[in-house]
Amino acid sequence: MTQNVKIIEIINLDDKQLVELSKTNVLSLSLVEMKEVQKYFKNLKRNPTDVELETVAQTWSEHCKHKTLTGNIEYTEIKQGKKNITKYSNLLKETIFKATKELDKPWCISVFKDNAGVIDFDDKNGVAFKVETHNHPSALEPYGGSATGIGGVIRDILGVGLGAKPLANTDVFCFGLPDTKYSDVPEGMHHPKRIAKGVVSGVRDYGNRMGIPTVNGAVFFDEGYMANPLVYCGTMGIIPKDKCFKKVNSGDLVLVVGGRTGRDGIHGATFSSVELDKESDVSAVQIGNPIVEKKVLDTMLKARDLNLYRAVTDCGAGGLSSAVGELGEKTGVVVELEKVPLKYEGLKPWEIWISEAQERMVFAVPPEHKNEILKLFEKENVEATFIGQFTDDKKLVLKYNNEIVADMDMEFLHDGVPKPTRTAVWEEKKSVRQKKIDVDSGVLTQDIKNVLADINVCSRDWIIRQYDHEVQGQTVIKPLQGNSIVNSGPSDASVIWPCAVVKNTDKAIVLSNGINPEYGKTDTYKMTASVIEEAMRNAVCVGADPEKLSLLDNFCWGNPNKPEILGSLVRATQACYDMSKEYSIPFISGKDSLYNEYSIGGKTFSIPPALLVSAMGVIEDVNKTVTMNLKKEGSFIYLVGVTNNELAGSVYAKIKNFAEGFVPDLNKKESKKIMKQIHKAILDNLVLACHDCSEGGFITAVSEMAFAGELGVDIDADLIKISDDTMSLPEILFSESNSRFIVEVSRENSNKFEDLLKDCCYSKIGKVISEPYVLLSSSKSKIKIKENIKNLQEAWQKTLQW
Amino acid sequence: MIYEIAIRTKKGFSNSHNVSLLNDIKIMGIDGVENVEYFPVYRIISDIDDKKVSVIANELLTDRITEEFSISKYKTSEEKETEKNSIEVWLKHGVTDTVSESVVKAIKDLGITDNVIVKTGHKYCFNGSGITVEKLNKIAKGFLANTLIQEYKIR
Repeated sequence: MTQNVKIIEIINLDDKQLVELSKTNVLSLSLVEMKEVQKYFKNLKRNPTDVELETVAQTWSEHCKHKTLTGNIEYTEIKQGKKNITKYSNLLKETIFKATKELDKPWCISVFKDNAGVIDFDDKNGVAFKVETHNHPSALEPYGGSATGIGGVIRDILGVGLGAKPLANTDVFCFGLPDTKYSDVPEGMHHPKRIAKGVVSGVRDYGNRMGIPTVNGAVFFDEGYMANPLVYCGTMGIIPKDKCFKKVNSGDLVLVVGGRTGRDGIHGATFSSVELDKESDVSAVQIGNPIVEKKVLDTMLKARDLNLYRAVTDCGAGGLSSAVGELGEKTGVVVELEKVPLKYEGLKPWEIWISEAQERMVFAVPPEHKNEILKLFEKENVEATFIGQFTDDKKLVLKYNNEIVADMDMEFLHDGVPKPTRTAVWEEKKSVRQKKIDVDSGVLTQDIKNVLADINVCSRDWIIRQYDHEVQGQTVIKPLQGNSIVNSGPSDASVIWPCAVVKNTDKAIVLSNGINPEYGKTDTYKMTASVIEEAMRNAVCVGADPEKLSLLDNFCWGNPNKPEILGSLVRATQACYDMSKEYSIPFISGKDSLYNEYSIGGKTFSIPPALLVSAMGVIEDVNKTVTMNLKKEGSFIYLVGVTNNELAGSVYAKIKNFAEGFVPDLNKKESKKIMKQIHKAILDNLVLACHDCSEGGFITAVSEMAFAGELGVDIDADLIKISDDTMSLPEILFSESNSRFIVEVSRENSNKFEDLLKDCCYSKIGKVISEPYVLLSSSKSKIKIKENIKNLQEAWQKTLQW
Repeated sequence: MIYEIAIRTKKGFSNSHNVSLLNDIKIMGIDGVENVEYFPVYRIISDIDDKKVSVIANELLTDRITEEFSISKYKTSEEKETEKNSIEVWLKHGVTDTVSESVVKAIKDLGITDNVIVKTGHKYCFNGSGITVEKLNKIAKGFLANTLIQEYKIR
């Protein structure tokens, strides 16, 4: 071997030395895994090269293999002192995948097997959606980490099938509290506000420069994310149905296209499986260049339409190691590493192979198209280089200047990772009702403003208005809705009408999301059910058919080696299965990010478990979509759905500083019925405005509708349907019960609307007035509120103006 | 030859960087800083003459309506001693500098075909009666430089 490659002693190491080797080289492999590697090379009667060891580490990383969710789990559930044990041999396959498989929707084109999920759009096109996380890089370098997060998920869409055209981006963030004292921030970490500003700037600069609108998102603040922010980035794209699948043939050439390879991002895949500490690996930070990716995007879609390649995937975590390895899994591949274009000299072969330098795509090109595809990329000033060939021996062979630096079986790499059994535990916690809350009109009015101003409710316009949400000219429902830039409220979901790509279509695509880690602090099952329903409610509000939605799951959890944390994850996946089956909506793609913990000075900070559920659906007629701002004086306000005493984890509980109460539960049957009827009402043009009740409860949602529409409302709170007669007015107004919609209906359509809802729980609670006030009265509670919508809007808008 | 081009916002135009940074400094609880001025800085390493550097600054790096530029020959730390109360932030060696990649390409597009290396940095000048090196260090670490990928110098 030359000086470019090191032989790593492994076959004679004892257990302690194996663990040490894994740690020193940031391999993130457990002892069991290291022993499996040792066994493989003992059989070969040789030690591995550094290239081989790094390749195994990347391929077996949590990021690439999802070892926890696909591994063996023994789950113990303790309820009322009784233990119930369930064994899983692949949690994902036995919950989320299982639901999708059992539902077997004919409109699902490609689910859980490619870079993104794909569903039907029309006869000729599919629509692809993927959401990724980029948490650890964003904790270290917020701007670069989030920019490469959005850049990476765009490449997922380019790498699905033979490549989809990106139409929209989404972004959801969880940050620490922005008013955290600087002295409370652990050494070596950034202040939450700095992280938030950097992350927003990174997504803004990458997304805007790519010419893709950022149309939907959410932000959640909690002290638990101080040292470990969550950065979810999503992209939706459209793809011709005959380009939805890829196939590599032996003899196809390996083409790498786009950015050059440097040391940036080395160990990103294995780094995502370790806790953050102040010594975290510097080289794990990637730096993105959207200008390069934009050129790759435009040119590769031309190459796709000319049928110049047979397969494509993106270089994400693990770099070429993962991308080429995945494409060559069923065939085998030989790569000549010295041919990979480098940013600068001096990279070792293993660094070239696992670098996560950005903006690179890998193609499988039939030899007969070799010249034509090179010419096309060259013409558009995109660097493209052939670096190898797919073989038929099912081996991964890497060469550097004619020297073989890696020679391993694909089967060992892709199927050789051992599956140890992890322990998961969940014990039921008893919830108790909070102490009765009684307030007078003055305090209640101030409470309403405080909730509107809360960091988790207030306007996100400071973020939203940095993003281009209109580029490509297809965004029909945008993130803010209202009568003007000044007077706007939060849209429930976004709608894209892909009229520039699909000519003469009336169809549109709805994107929405649900996330609420606050509920997960009490029960991750209820949190999961709530956020799935929230994502659905949001989509239904703008006109989506609840029976034709598809979902994406993104789990961000702490260390799964801790039984309680894994137990809460099992609960969440069980809820995903139950919800998916009950509502008959499949999950089509997902991702997990585990080990979101931060250790320093012997103290461990673990994030509150967070599940982002993103919903996507196809709306048949873009003309039948609805926004949330009130439209017409004199029309009626309906509250559909029942209000329960559910305030645990609510914004009101935070403001009033109580921890008791019940987390919102879900009556699935009633919820299904309500969403179906709301959808029918929108299709029948009976709905003027629609908004769901979520964080902050009914009073927050109705206030948002009022100031966005510059109209007032007159509400009789005693008419709100409640499940418990002992509820006080604040409990009614701020309850965050699921399955509730506020609907504005014109007087002339009210009978038809009520007729449609006759089997649902609803009440006509008031009307829209021209005076700019929220008027709310309750004779039962002897409360009368009169607050100018301008004051409510000011409270909502002032918090997040950085 | 190494040139430094600093881009300054013209008087009469507001610079959101300055406003935002001053606000953050106040929130951090650091007193004594009355004014901040931010400049993007480009280090041009090349054998090209002053005229070409001026073309690059004027045609490429400056928005002539709201900004003005100044060009200086590179100074070592010792030579810069007179520039008190400032922080310069530069990417560490080996960190991908995508802005510089774009600038190099744009210089070629201007018709300047000489070999040019560009490095991009940021400079912040502080005014106030109570500014100390300790405070500037706090500001640099708190807001301006991510020492994982950047290095900073206080003068």
